[in-house]
Amino acid sequence: MSQLVIFFVFAAIMVFAGVMVITVRNAVHSALFLVLAFFSSAAIWLLMEAEFLAIVLVLVYVGAVMVLFLFVVMMLDVNTARLKEGFIRYLPVGLLVAVLIAFQLIMVVGGERFGLEDYPKPVPKAADYSNTEALGAVLYTEYLFAFEVAAVILLVAIVAAISLTMRRRNTVKTQKPEMQVAVRREDRIRIVSMASEPRNGREDGS
Amino acid sequence: MTDFVAITPELFLLTMACVVLIVDAFLPEAYRAVTYQLALMTLVITGGLTVALYPAEPQVVFHGAAVVDGMGSVLKAFIAGIAFFAFTYSKDYLRERNVFKGEYYVLGLFAVLGMMIMVSAHSLLTIYLGLELLSLCLYAMVAMHRDSADASEAAMKYFVLGALASGMLLYGISMIYGGTGTVDLGEIAAVVASGDIVDDTVLVFGLVFLVVGLAFKLGAVPFHMWLPDVYHGAPTAVTLFIGSAPKMAAFAMVMRVLVDGLEGLQADWQAMLVILSILSMAVGNVIAIAQTNLKRMFAYSTIAHVGFLILGVLSGTEAGYAASMFYAIVYAIMSLGGFGMIVLLSRGGFEADRLEDFKGLNERSPWFAFIMMVFLFSMAGVPPFVGFWAKWSVLREVVAADMVWLAVVAVVFSIIGAFYYLRVVKLMYFDKPEDASPITAGGDLQAAVSINGLAVLGLGLFPGALLTLCVAALAAS
Amino acid sequence: MDMFDIYLAIPLAPLVGALIAGLLGKAIGRAGAHWVTIIGVALSTVLSFVVYNHHVLEGADAFNGNVYTWAVSDGIAFQVGFLVDQLTATMMVVVTFVSLMVHIYTIGYMHDDPGYQRFFSYISLFTFAMLMLVMANNFLQLFFGWEAVGLVSYLLIGFWYERDSAIYANMKAFLVNRAGDFGFLLGIAAVLMYFGTLDYAEVFARAPELVGTTMEVIPGAEWSLFSVICILLFIGAMGKSAQWPLHVWLPDSMEGPTPISALIHAATMVTAGIFMVSRMSPLFELSETALSFVLIIGAITAFFMGLLGLVQNDIKRVVAYSTLSQLGYMAVGLGASAYAASMFHLGTHAFFKALLFLGAGAVIIAMHHEQDMRRMGGLRKYMPITYVTSLIGSLALIGFPGFSGFFSKDGIIEAVHHSELWGADIAYLAVLSGVFITALYSFRMFFMTFHGEERMDEHTREHLHEAPWVVTVPLILLAIPSVIIGWLWAEPMLFGDYFGEAIFVAPEHDTLARLGEGYHGLVAFMLHGIMAPPFWLAALGVFTAWFLYMKRTDLPAKIVARVRPLHTILVEKYGHDRFNDWFFGGGTRGLGGLLWRVGDLALIDGLVVNGSAKVVAWFSGIFRRIQTGYLYTYAFAMIIGLLLLLQFAVGGS
Repeated sequence: MSQLVIFFVFAAIMVFAGVMVITVRNAVHSALFLVLAFFSSAAIWLLMEAEFLAIVLVLVYVGAVMVLFLFVVMMLDVNTARLKEGFIRYLPVGLLVAVLIAFQLIMVVGGERFGLEDYPKPVPKAADYSNTEALGAVLYTEYLFAFEVAAVILLVAIVAAISLTMRRRNTVKTQKPEMQVAVRREDRIRIVSMASEPRNGREDGS
Repeated sequence: MTDFVAITPELFLLTMACVVLIVDAFLPEAYRAVTYQLALMTLVITGGLTVALYPAEPQVVFHGAAVVDGMGSVLKAFIAGIAFFAFTYSKDYLRERNVFKGEYYVLGLFAVLGMMIMVSAHSLLTIYLGLELLSLCLYAMVAMHRDSADASEAAMKYFVLGALASGMLLYGISMIYGGTGTVDLGEIAAVVASGDIVDDTVLVFGLVFLVVGLAFKLGAVPFHMWLPDVYHGAPTAVTLFIGSAPKMAAFAMVMRVLVDGLEGLQADWQAMLVILSILSMAVGNVIAIAQTNLKRMFAYSTIAHVGFLILGVLSGTEAGYAASMFYAIVYAIMSLGGFGMIVLLSRGGFEADRLEDFKGLNERSPWFAFIMMVFLFSMAGVPPFVGFWAKWSVLREVVAADMVWLAVVAVVFSIIGAFYYLRVVKLMYFDKPEDASPITAGGDLQAAVSINGLAVLGLGLFPGALLTLCVAALAAS
Repeated sequence: MDMFDIYLAIPLAPLVGALIAGLLGKAIGRAGAHWVTIIGVALSTVLSFVVYNHHVLEGADAFNGNVYTWAVSDGIAFQVGFLVDQLTATMMVVVTFVSLMVHIYTIGYMHDDPGYQRFFSYISLFTFAMLMLVMANNFLQLFFGWEAVGLVSYLLIGFWYERDSAIYANMKAFLVNRAGDFGFLLGIAAVLMYFGTLDYAEVFARAPELVGTTMEVIPGAEWSLFSVICILLFIGAMGKSAQWPLHVWLPDSMEGPTPISALIHAATMVTAGIFMVSRMSPLFELSETALSFVLIIGAITAFFMGLLGLVQNDIKRVVAYSTLSQLGYMAVGLGASAYAASMFHLGTHAFFKALLFLGAGAVIIAMHHEQDMRRMGGLRKYMPITYVTSLIGSLALIGFPGFSGFFSKDGIIEAVHHSELWGADIAYLAVLSGVFITALYSFRMFFMTFHGEERMDEHTREHLHEAPWVVTVPLILLAIPSVIIGWLWAEPMLFGDYFGEAIFVAPEHDTLARLGEGYHGLVAFMLHGIMAPPFWLAALGVFTAWFLYMKRTDLPAKIVARVRPLHTILVEKYGHDRFNDWFFGGGTRGLGGLLWRVGDLALIDGLVVNGSAKVVAWFSGIFRRIQTGYLYTYAFAMIIGLLLLLQFAVGGS
């Protein structure tokens, strides 16, 4: 019973936070509401005995991703008012579609099909059961392939990010010590062989 | 250990992509061609390994994560081959626009890896990861030309919409997982076939989301909106990559999900695919007529071709799948050639992507006018070019599946479609060139485009081998 | 070398030449283009003679084999294959030899033309297409060759595409041939429907089984299957071989360069129809209705088109109408089941008509592209070689005993005489009087061009000289067979077993066999010819021409004044063109206008006439509006799509 209450409380907070993320005008507030939504979902995961995921969610998303996100938002100083201009105009249509889809979702994903008779209540794990250990046990065995592919995706993300943002700026003048050190004689002077000039000029002058 | 042997091509490709990445980082600007040559060599060897390891019978590896089978191997070999040509086409183009960077090839190689993973996926999870790997590379490649506002905008649209589509796909996957308790395609098929599920509403619900995700990747109406903007906005060297090989991967994804996994729900997805197919053929062909930009026109023509490609799958027979596979391969070759011609006519600072740029091509170069005509006729489905056989074989399967009306609709739309291809032919042969300068493209590019064109012609005259290959490949999977 | 390789090399050599000249024309230059195509065609000419030797002289069995199976669909194989027998071998020799002559001649004729390489590419391509047509062993390939020669002829007639008249002429040729092809295609479709195969051998083998079959094209009317098929196929032949009433394109096609007139009209394309009917003889023999149809159409063409030749002043047009008339003779021969005689005439005609065309071309070059005979005359002394060769061609054409045309034309006339088919009597009269007309217009042209007073202007006269050797050599080479080929072919073709199994004639139709009963050697045949009416008619014709155009040159104008209405009818070509322009041209325009008005008034803004364009534009407009370029529109479209699909798939449950 208490579990049910906790679930509904956090679920309500999460939905509320989710709505706020897309409705508040201030981007910083929006990000903060996202943090709230993450916290609530972490709590629900805890409720489902997925401790490892819950903690990772908080650590990675709240701790790292959202901080970075806030950092970017503050740095870029996005003009949020302009971005939301069309919001009111399209709200009715958007709302209608949202309601329709929500209706369809509820029609299907209800207790009718996901009730206890179809999905028996999971047996609570013993107190010494380690979620982390269980994950670790399959990660490098059963899911090795997927895990490695995910790693490659991260690598590509890094490559892509660097290739899209790194830019050698030609306008800034900086010293490049390694080039100064590596300079060779041939780079600096050029010996030109040419025919000797007649000495007329000097003779005239003298 | 045999698991690792089975995926040797992928492992090799991954290793080499990393090698190319590192080598490129240490190479001076002047030696950029080394990156390019390494990338080409990698593709050749990867393709060769794939062919060498062609399995006698399907082999599921890594606890059901991947499968090595006939269809996968054939498609992977073609993907490597097509990427090879795409890289060749892109070299001069990139160099002239100062974006001849190693990243194009590194990302391209990773994209090929993503496609290969998708093609040989045996689990929804692997499909999703392969798709993300591919998409991420493509987003970055589209945006690579940073000075172009069009490219940045296209990349942004592609990225956001792609993320949306991924979300839907993922939601569908979770529904299927919820309904069957597994992401392994073989097990899903077993559960669906066993009839244990009394109420398959959840599965159908998930299926809709999956189909949306697939339709986005293919570019089927109404999930096609990204396609014209991306094809148009991206540098042509990237467009030709996006427009060719990934279509084969998308086809494989459709086959894996709908046929390998959810064949039991055929009645449901067949109806959806019929809708998508008709809409795609209608919208693609009709709008293409109004285009004045060749890249955009090809984008809409892609949408129309996707409609045709789906026809074979929805017929729901082994022969139909083979026909679609044939179509996917053929389309990739034709599309590659079409964009290749644009690259061929482009020069530094000049993009030959307007219809007018093809005016009077026959006077500038009869040979390349002929090659372009081969591509266009083939896309229009004029015999004896291979595009005709592709259309013919899917239509035959649609008729065999007792959907004569659908075949009639398809034929009507392809006749409408023939108009805009033939218009370009007319421009090339009967109009005066606006700019009569000779073609300056490099010899390797000219040779590659010529080979590409002759392949379309040759496959049209001798379609039997490739068709047989497709049938055999599907029989072995 | 294996025979099979030879068969394969014969059509491919010109194709390779055409591709090289067409695609790499700039790279290899003008000389390169003519060398590469001439070598290709020369190779296939030599090989054709090898094949001819193999099949006709050594009497080898017919070869029937598939080169390549393009595709198999529902048990029907689409194949590329060769059927080579005496009939094919003869055609191959004729086609390649004339084509080679035309290639060489073109070097001189097109000397200053900017489209030099393009021209060589086209004529080589044409040779390839024609060989594919002739060598086909199935209907599909026949149709391919049929359409390919049509396409190249379209390109060639409109070769000088800056000229409006050339564009008009090639449009006309194209459209008229489409009308014929429609019938042809229906005929092939009927074959496929009833026989389930496109292979000649299988169709011919099964034909006797289906003799009694009828089909109901219009409800209530039962028609014999073979009558329908054969008449449909012959409608195709009427388009290609310019039989009345589908002949209208041929005179206009003179807009093309002269080598084309020779290539298309003399030797090759126009004879495709005649060849096709001969090839289909096992089918035509099964329907007397179809044979009568062929006979009547041929007779009309032979007689009435000859008459038109009398009033033409353009030298090439005279030859063109003469071609029409001779094609009529060949069709008459086919109708009388004298396929061999028709093929014989086809062969001889190919040589002497190519000769006449090229001779006319030589005159035109000498006259600086002047084609009006009223401004010629007396050219004999300036162009002796052209004069002699043209005389040979004309004598062959009118059937002067001993020349090739004599044997072949007499064969046809006598065969018709012996035919018992419905309409044979009228046809006999038509071809007999045709002989007089032929002689009259041929020598009218001959006298007006080479004899009499010199009517050209001073400037042209000063520059008159014999044509260069690339022109005269083909003339001489063509003149030789025009004289002797009759001696070689007459006996085996008309009375012997020249064609063997290649042509099938039902015993009750075998007019040539009946003719052969009274045959006692060639010389006797010739002597008999001198006694027979055709010779005297021809002589009368020549005499009349001499009298009117040499002796009493004032007479023609007076005669014209007397029979003004008749003359007008002839000048107006019986009003065919006017009728076509008025009925088909005007009719479609009128219908279009009507629809436009009705559509404009009754329906919304021209929905009928511009309907498709409007609908497309409308759709495009809508979709363009959707393709806004805004991200949220795209995302929204996806969501809507998802919503509708969900509703569609899950909505019910």
